[in-house]
Amino acid sequence: MTTLTSVAENLRADQWPVLEAPRWSCALGGALTTGLGIYGVVPILHSGAGCGLGHQFGMTYASGENAGGALGGTGTPCSCLVEEHVIFGGETKLRNLIKSTIELVKGELFAVVSGCVPSLIGDDSDAVVREFAGKAPVIHVKAPGFKGTSYDGYELFLEAVADQFLQARPVQKRAINILGVVPFQHLFWKGTLAVLKATFAKLGVDANILLTEFGGVENLRRIPSAELNLVLSPWNGHRAASKLEERFGTPWYAHPAVPVGPKQTTRLIREVAKRLSLDQAVVDKVIAEEERHAYRFAEYFGDGLILGLPHAYFAVVADTPTAIGITQYLTNEIAYIPDIVILADNPPEAARPAILRELTEGLEVVNKPEVVFEADAHKIRQKLKNRNFLFLLASSLEKITAGEEYSAMHHSIAFPSYDRLVLDRTYAGYRGGLALVEELTSKWVGPL
Amino acid sequence: MNVFYGKASELVAKARNGTLCNREREFQQSSGCVLNFYLTVRIPTIRDAAVVFHAPVGCSSSALGYRELYRGIPAALGRPAKFDLQWITTNLSETDVVHGASGKLATAIKEAESRYRPKAIFLLTSCTAGIIGEDLEGTVGEVQPQVQARIVPVHCEGVRSRLVQTGYDAFWHGVLKYLVRKPTKKQNDLVNVASMLSYTWQDRLEIKRLLGKLGLRVNFVPEFASVEDLEQLSEAAVTAPLCPTYTDYLSRGLQQEYGVPFFLYPSPMGIENTDGWLREIAKHTGKEKEVEDLIREEHAVWVPKMKKIRDEFLSLKGDGTPLSVLGALGQGRLLAQTPYFHELGLKPVAAIAQDFDNLVLEETEQLVRERGDFPILINTFQAAEQAHLTQTLDPDLTLTCPFQGTAYKRRKGMTRIHALRGDALPTSMQSGYAGAIACGEFLLRSWKAKSFQQTMVEKTEDPYHPWWYQQPNPHHYVPEEAVRSVSGETR
Repeated sequence: MTTLTSVAENLRADQWPVLEAPRWSCALGGALTTGLGIYGVVPILHSGAGCGLGHQFGMTYASGENAGGALGGTGTPCSCLVEEHVIFGGETKLRNLIKSTIELVKGELFAVVSGCVPSLIGDDSDAVVREFAGKAPVIHVKAPGFKGTSYDGYELFLEAVADQFLQARPVQKRAINILGVVPFQHLFWKGTLAVLKATFAKLGVDANILLTEFGGVENLRRIPSAELNLVLSPWNGHRAASKLEERFGTPWYAHPAVPVGPKQTTRLIREVAKRLSLDQAVVDKVIAEEERHAYRFAEYFGDGLILGLPHAYFAVVADTPTAIGITQYLTNEIAYIPDIVILADNPPEAARPAILRELTEGLEVVNKPEVVFEADAHKIRQKLKNRNFLFLLASSLEKITAGEEYSAMHHSIAFPSYDRLVLDRTYAGYRGGLALVEELTSKWVGPL
Repeated sequence: MNVFYGKASELVAKARNGTLCNREREFQQSSGCVLNFYLTVRIPTIRDAAVVFHAPVGCSSSALGYRELYRGIPAALGRPAKFDLQWITTNLSETDVVHGASGKLATAIKEAESRYRPKAIFLLTSCTAGIIGEDLEGTVGEVQPQVQARIVPVHCEGVRSRLVQTGYDAFWHGVLKYLVRKPTKKQNDLVNVASMLSYTWQDRLEIKRLLGKLGLRVNFVPEFASVEDLEQLSEAAVTAPLCPTYTDYLSRGLQQEYGVPFFLYPSPMGIENTDGWLREIAKHTGKEKEVEDLIREEHAVWVPKMKKIRDEFLSLKGDGTPLSVLGALGQGRLLAQTPYFHELGLKPVAAIAQDFDNLVLEETEQLVRERGDFPILINTFQAAEQAHLTQTLDPDLTLTCPFQGTAYKRRKGMTRIHALRGDALPTSMQSGYAGAIACGEFLLRSWKAKSFQQTMVEKTEDPYHPWWYQQPNPHHYVPEEAVRSVSGETR
């Protein structure tokens, strides 16, 4: 059997090519924004002065027009290194900054995120951070921008928490941590985590989502008490989960996507239920109730969908966990036809065969989509030309060309998206598919 | 210099006797560097050009909105219907840091050439490229013969300066050296005007309207300019400011190299300032007589409207006293806003400016002479310092700097200090006569409803411990000893 899958232009994970507008930032950006997502953490940048404010435009606004909050943007403490520090070192500046931040800024965990400059000039930032041991909880996340992407920054942050902050705790039955939903990179991170937490609660599972909750630092402290680490990505969060397994022996399960709609959510629940040995009857009951509701609501749009725009071809350009979730939902539940799926987050080679399976064997459709691993915005633009798709679910980078070059209806579902505000909205969970259909249908629907 | 808090009179006295020093803050917040976000979000808006960031991937992330910039402006308002903006990053890795990346830079330039066929390729450098000692000029020399686009290197390493304004100077240096052509003809009706992030499309239209009535054309640079617009800078009759700091280096360069006259004050904000701005332009374009007719005509339309706004502002407190106002950003706004606030019937209680140098010394002295002394806080986007000053002075109306997270949360009046470039609404305009009125009406509007700012101040937590506001000094974390003097510092 042959598929239309092409990896001809794929990006080798071990390379750092010249790129137009890759859809990620640097390790510092990822560590900073992960810190901003955990309430109670105060990120402290040891870097040039632009590394914080730049990410307000480059990551938080790019993630559905969100500001970083009181400690984002120009609020982030920063050593603002300049030439004299390059020559004489930035350690004194860092020491003063940590001290003054602890005095001035409310917080429970201070996370020094060091960038390119201290790494290049050989500052011993570790030693400076160690001076605060016993005085205040301070960790050091080494995140030079040339050493990794913002996806790596998420892992680096959690690894630093695991190594420098966490202590073993007794394992609590039916407690899980949800990892791999990278804040700001996954456009709907806030809503996704909240919805999945609520869904698991119905099963009697206590899901620790770390992010977007007051008491975020306590959330971090109880990471080691989980019975299972659930990772919602075929490649994000894997390093963090491995680190937690190594330190605390917590087993982990990696699900291939952020689940969109009933079929995928049920699949996720069954996978977790198996691993936590949940009561089968309870699981079945919750699934039946949730599915019944979601599909009853699908009846509200079903008639209009079949009359107005059935069997539409669509294209997806997104990070892998988002792309798989949306492609499977539209294909397997709405009977839309995937034309091309471009995975723009450069997943490692080792993860790619499983990703390809999800986007071929995992789809209930005769024609499998072309699947492309491509991160260069220019090449993506070319790749989308002369195709069948009517919907383009992508980042807002594709917004202008969608109409002008592809005559397609565009909808922003992935990072970066500057053309919509995303707060609680998510496509995850049983009812998430309904939200996606609402938005897509609103693009074309009119009076009958 | 970007550390000072005190009376404006004291600031100018210190600057005059050479004792004004920069000092190292013990507490500091991210404020933008020479590259980011200043050049990163501006240079990629130049049409028919491409930008190469010679940097790790994070340094260009703030440019990710590039394809959407200016698209919200209806083509009916004069925005070109079709244009492309593009940039590439060399995506520096650890291997590049160890082995050097000039090969990668050359690849990026050639890739930009073959993909986009641009007229110019701007190379923007980063801390990392600077510290590892990348030979930018060497690579440019080698690659330029192989590409048709004019390569314009810009030395804007983030660590190069404490002052973000240095980025503008670095950029203009590149433009002057590599792009501006020897004048082939003098365009006596062409006026160079800096277009900036904080000036909206409607500001452009108002400036075009006014200069158009004098029979003059506007050459807006650098934002959303074409490469041709930059090349022809040398042929203009005069370079006029919107913000003096922004165009200072360009203005001086154009005068020195090509004899294009310039002025730095005033900016066209408020009626009196706009009069002055137009008269300065008229002097250099032989329109002295026409400009007086224009000013008369415009005053007939706008001055009565201004009086209405002023009357309404003065009635708000009930006792005829003016509302106190706090707001400023760059040096340009520092100087231009004060007279404008007086026109509106507002009383400035203090000024905040991103930096201060000898460029604005005389004008600041003049301001103190004419309007009286005032407290001034010089800092570059320092959120905690500004929160402190705002809480201490507690003005009736605060015009907030963007991106500060908490600055909008207030019990009293509050609104934004300016809109941004992509905003096409007439109500967002601030420049010229129409802008003076639009902005006045906007500020009045801010007085009418305050629920959001008040609810947010009540229902969300302030990030700083209460002691911060209980002590008197926004520069609590600025030690007294000098680090280096202003006079020796390159802006």
